[in-house]
Amino acid sequence: MVKINRILIANRGEIAVRIMKTATLMKIETVAIKTAVEPNAMYLASADVIFDNTEDNSEIPVFLDIEKLIDIALKTKANAVHPGYGFLAENAYFAQKCIDNNLIFIGPSPDAIYKMGNKTIARKIALAGSIPMAMGSEGNIANEEEAVIVAEKIGYPVIIKAASGGGGRGMRIVRKSEEMGKMFTIASKEAEKAFNDPSVFVEKYIENPKHIEFQILGDTKGNVVHLGERECSIQRKHQKLLEEAPSAALDEKLRKKMGEMAVQIAKAVDYHSAGTVEFLLDSEKNFYFMEMNTRIQVEHPVTEVITGLDLIEQQIRVANGEELKFKQSDIKLRGWAFECRINAEDVQAGFAPDPGKIISLNMPSDPCVRVDTGVMAGSSIVASYDSMIAKLIVKGKDRKDALKNCKMALDKVWIKGTKTTLPFFRMLVRHQKFQDGTFTTSFIEKDLEKYYFNSEYEEMLAAWLATKLFVEENLNDDSINVNFEHGKVMSPWLLNKRINQF
Amino acid sequence: MANEKLQIKKLYALSSENKKFSFSLPLKHTIRIGKRDYEVKLKADEKLGTYILWKNRKYPVEIVRSSQNKYEILFNDISYTFTVETPFSLQRKKVLNSSKGKIEKEIIKAPMPGKIIDVLVREGATIVKGEPLVILEAMKMQNELISPVNGVVERVHAKANTNVMKDDMLIEIKL
Repeated sequence: MVKINRILIANRGEIAVRIMKTATLMKIETVAIKTAVEPNAMYLASADVIFDNTEDNSEIPVFLDIEKLIDIALKTKANAVHPGYGFLAENAYFAQKCIDNNLIFIGPSPDAIYKMGNKTIARKIALAGSIPMAMGSEGNIANEEEAVIVAEKIGYPVIIKAASGGGGRGMRIVRKSEEMGKMFTIASKEAEKAFNDPSVFVEKYIENPKHIEFQILGDTKGNVVHLGERECSIQRKHQKLLEEAPSAALDEKLRKKMGEMAVQIAKAVDYHSAGTVEFLLDSEKNFYFMEMNTRIQVEHPVTEVITGLDLIEQQIRVANGEELKFKQSDIKLRGWAFECRINAEDVQAGFAPDPGKIISLNMPSDPCVRVDTGVMAGSSIVASYDSMIAKLIVKGKDRKDALKNCKMALDKVWIKGTKTTLPFFRMLVRHQKFQDGTFTTSFIEKDLEKYYFNSEYEEMLAAWLATKLFVEENLNDDSINVNFEHGKVMSPWLLNKRINQF
Repeated sequence: MANEKLQIKKLYALSSENKKFSFSLPLKHTIRIGKRDYEVKLKADEKLGTYILWKNRKYPVEIVRSSQNKYEILFNDISYTFTVETPFSLQRKKVLNSSKGKIEKEIIKAPMPGKIIDVLVREGATIVKGEPLVILEAMKMQNELISPVNGVVERVHAKANTNVMKDDMLIEIKL
């Protein structure tokens, strides 16, 4: 079998940088794609070969264009493709197309992607393996009336989910039958828009659960291990904001039980490469299988920190046909890790995306901090992609220690140019419920009065600055009451120029 | 006018939540906590850009917008909007506010640029607080814009499958 010697990175941003970092360590060459949207993106600097696709004026981004990607891989003489996450990472057809063109797909088999990607098939597989699951419809639901019948049988609240879904899209909670019509339509439309498949199903909605997921790693010889859990309960609209590993909610016994179930699900589809089995854990510590993600995940670094493994390296080795060099009993979890997703979002405006150019970016350098990013000062966070700026990964010897380090690290992050989720994390690490680990997925909606942290002195200092500006603009002038700059809107980030005048 | 300038002894910065911060003139470069004054320094360098140095800590700071006496300041990643008032203008504002009528209309604007995926209400519909009105897609996220009030939909400007800019008017609700 031919070994991987050059990988096309079918992705962008921090994950492209992350994959290339490991590939380089393994002495494997990489190909990155330069796009018109981000011609100066940071990930291009890490690649051995850059394919210039800036002339492409197609409507769909190249990272979603299967034919084009295969063509680029062949043209640049790559013999493998890494899809990263998002885009085509969980597209069975893309994986198959790679194989058909003698390209090694760094990920699971097309069959495993297809089965786990379709939630109704995944449910059937889990059911056949007696994996605990929330009660729900047998298969897809055709219309609102059918949804109401199922919901009445299993009892409200229920959740409507997209069969081909993921990432929170196409999901709606329904608490009473009157809401079903509207929610069914929204979920179905959203599913069609996002996944080209309007089919949805209904399952029992578990109130206030914790989101616990297990990292799985399998090889092509049938060996599958789990690398412990991650807790991702800090989420907003099913979008994760902070992840940690391990979870404060699990003891050794529960970890073993859930881990075994996760391995069993993976084995049921002959899974190889890295994957994630997601569960909901209720307040009574009952767990329910939710879905399996057949890709490397955004939050994989927290698992790398506590296991000491490089998951991208493992993916590449498995894709090369190597056998896993460790058994379940060799996996030891050490310490604790948090990952804060620092996004270009306006926390004060309900986490609305705030795209823009990053003026300055300074991240803490400390042995307990790891930063995965795809941007630097001068980069733009563009509206056509996600709003991620950087992942701040902080470790400690236990949860308390990691939390202390995280709080410190958050105060050292310095980003200018867009608003960020930093004020949210600064609040989070100070919140009692987060500190004691009792938070659930409804934390942001139910337990928070304020989405951000600031001290009263900060507001006073800002007030002082406003007053200072007013004095500069008006009182040094002769015309106090009339000489306001009527309707004048300053360009943002102008202070730098003005400061010299003080 | 020149005389009036001499009379101003104080300035007030009013926050959007109506918190009042008063500063005496001439403006000192210190902030007092308890009995101690701490020096405030406004600085800039190439690496960090503009910042305020206070009690040995640096805080990133920017002026996002300024018009008339209104300032939007970004301080340590949080926006604050202040109107700076003189004792005279503050008095005038109080008078103006007390004569203002009740608000009768709520206008739902696009909180960010994006694409309208769906409009969930029709003109004339009675809606309750928390009800979803419009689905707006921006940066790969579908955002449900919900009604902040109870009322009746008076006008629907939003159209499905059209792009909108930030602050475009989407729905008008009569209270």
